[in-house]
Amino acid sequence: MRSAIQRYGLAVLSVSVALGLALLVVRFNIHGVEFPLFLFAIALTVWYAGTKPGIVAVVLSSFAFNYYFTEPFYTLYVTAVDVPYYIVFILFASLVAWFSTVRRRVEQDLLQSRDDLEKEVIQRRVLNEELAKRSEELQAINKELEAFAYSVSHDLRAPIRHISGFTELLQKSVATVVNDRGQRHMSMILESAKRMGNLIDDLLAFSRIGRAETHKTMVSLQQLVQEAQSELAQETEGRNINWKVGKLPACYGDRSMLRLVLVNLISNAVKFTRTRPQAEIEIGSTNHKPDQIVMFIKDNGVGFDMKYVNKLFGVFQRLHAPEAFEGTGIGLATVQRIVHRHGGRAWAEAALDKGATFYFSLSKSGERDL
Amino acid sequence: MSAFGRILLVEDDPKDVELTLTALDDYKLANEVVVARDGEEALDYLYCRGKFQTRSNDNPAVLLLDLKLPKVDGLEVLQQIKSDEKFKMIPVVVLTSSHEEKDMVTSYKLGVNAYVVKPVDFHEFVNAVKELGVFWAVINEPPPGSIKKN
Repeated sequence: MRSAIQRYGLAVLSVSVALGLALLVVRFNIHGVEFPLFLFAIALTVWYAGTKPGIVAVVLSSFAFNYYFTEPFYTLYVTAVDVPYYIVFILFASLVAWFSTVRRRVEQDLLQSRDDLEKEVIQRRVLNEELAKRSEELQAINKELEAFAYSVSHDLRAPIRHISGFTELLQKSVATVVNDRGQRHMSMILESAKRMGNLIDDLLAFSRIGRAETHKTMVSLQQLVQEAQSELAQETEGRNINWKVGKLPACYGDRSMLRLVLVNLISNAVKFTRTRPQAEIEIGSTNHKPDQIVMFIKDNGVGFDMKYVNKLFGVFQRLHAPEAFEGTGIGLATVQRIVHRHGGRAWAEAALDKGATFYFSLSKSGERDL
Repeated sequence: MSAFGRILLVEDDPKDVELTLTALDDYKLANEVVVARDGEEALDYLYCRGKFQTRSNDNPAVLLLDLKLPKVDGLEVLQQIKSDEKFKMIPVVVLTSSHEEKDMVTSYKLGVNAYVVKPVDFHEFVNAVKELGVFWAVINEPPPGSIKKN
């Protein structure tokens, strides 16, 4: 940091000052102060100028001490008696120099790590700001998207209502003059309008799940399954279904959302076993990990080909013809969205015509809440 | 347009107006309806301003209110009605396409008497409108100061 001249200059200067002071005190007949004065000069040099100037200071001090303060005075001659004295002096001086050096090094290391820390703090602050900005942007985009989806769905409903409404009125007023073909076309218009209406309603509901806040409490899955079953009573009426419901645990989550998950999965199981004379639907849970519940809904229905499994949870994705099984293809997308919002995962296993099993995982305590 | 109406329908979409009137016509209620095409017109009707200057001073027995309206929107109309001593007793039914919880909560907080989402299905729509019309204009006893049934 400082230039070499300054550092070695300090060595020379401090030893000179020590020598001057020592000569001064000796003149006043005070003895024994010379030694610590030189040590002080050495320590000062090492402290401020580093090791090498410190060695120079030790050498200079030794010569000065020898020349001025040990007998015979004013020569560099060293008597045998003085040798241990010198050794002690040099050792002592070296010790002081060494301590100072260590002290210096530690100080430098500290300064260095402080600088590093400061740099890191600044870097982190920049990163954090960047992150906050990104998250704000994302939130804004998300909001915009949801608002868009909402207003599209909302504004689409009116024309659909008008199409079906006026077609129906038309059907009534021209019933006697339009032939069968015309009648069929009108009912196809009505059917399409109805389907479009259902799609929009489902899309709206799906978009709402993404936006709605979750209200999490402890929820009994056993009770939810019962509720889901009674909600589907209309669809299961007159069907021969063998229900096997295992003992289900409680979990931490949004009650109405989890209910919707179960209603969707169970109604799928009911729907896709429709072609079976004896439907088997099994609902249960496995408990491999301590903090995780895995629920499954297994049926002996028509199943699906595993090569389409990645399409299963997509919005408006369907693996069956609408004539065979009705539906808009939003149910499993909703399931996945809700399960994700609970920090879990949804997946399925199936084989064509051999039934399907749908799984979803939930965190038991909600601590791993995402 | 009749100056006497027990139902004030606030709806900007002419097709929805026609469908609503068709539905109400089944119970011969269409003649009782006054249509306002936006929030401002609805308020003009209530305050007997503008083109409604000459109407009798009675209040409608019910207000069927769409939320998405030009100029003054439905929620603003609702707020205005429910904060005016002269109108706060008029039953207000929100009849809207909006399924939004936010709209619903705001409406109820402002004191709406019923909140009906227009069904997409025409039959359901007709039934909903008919039931609303019959209930509020015929079965329900309107507050004092409303136009009486002739």
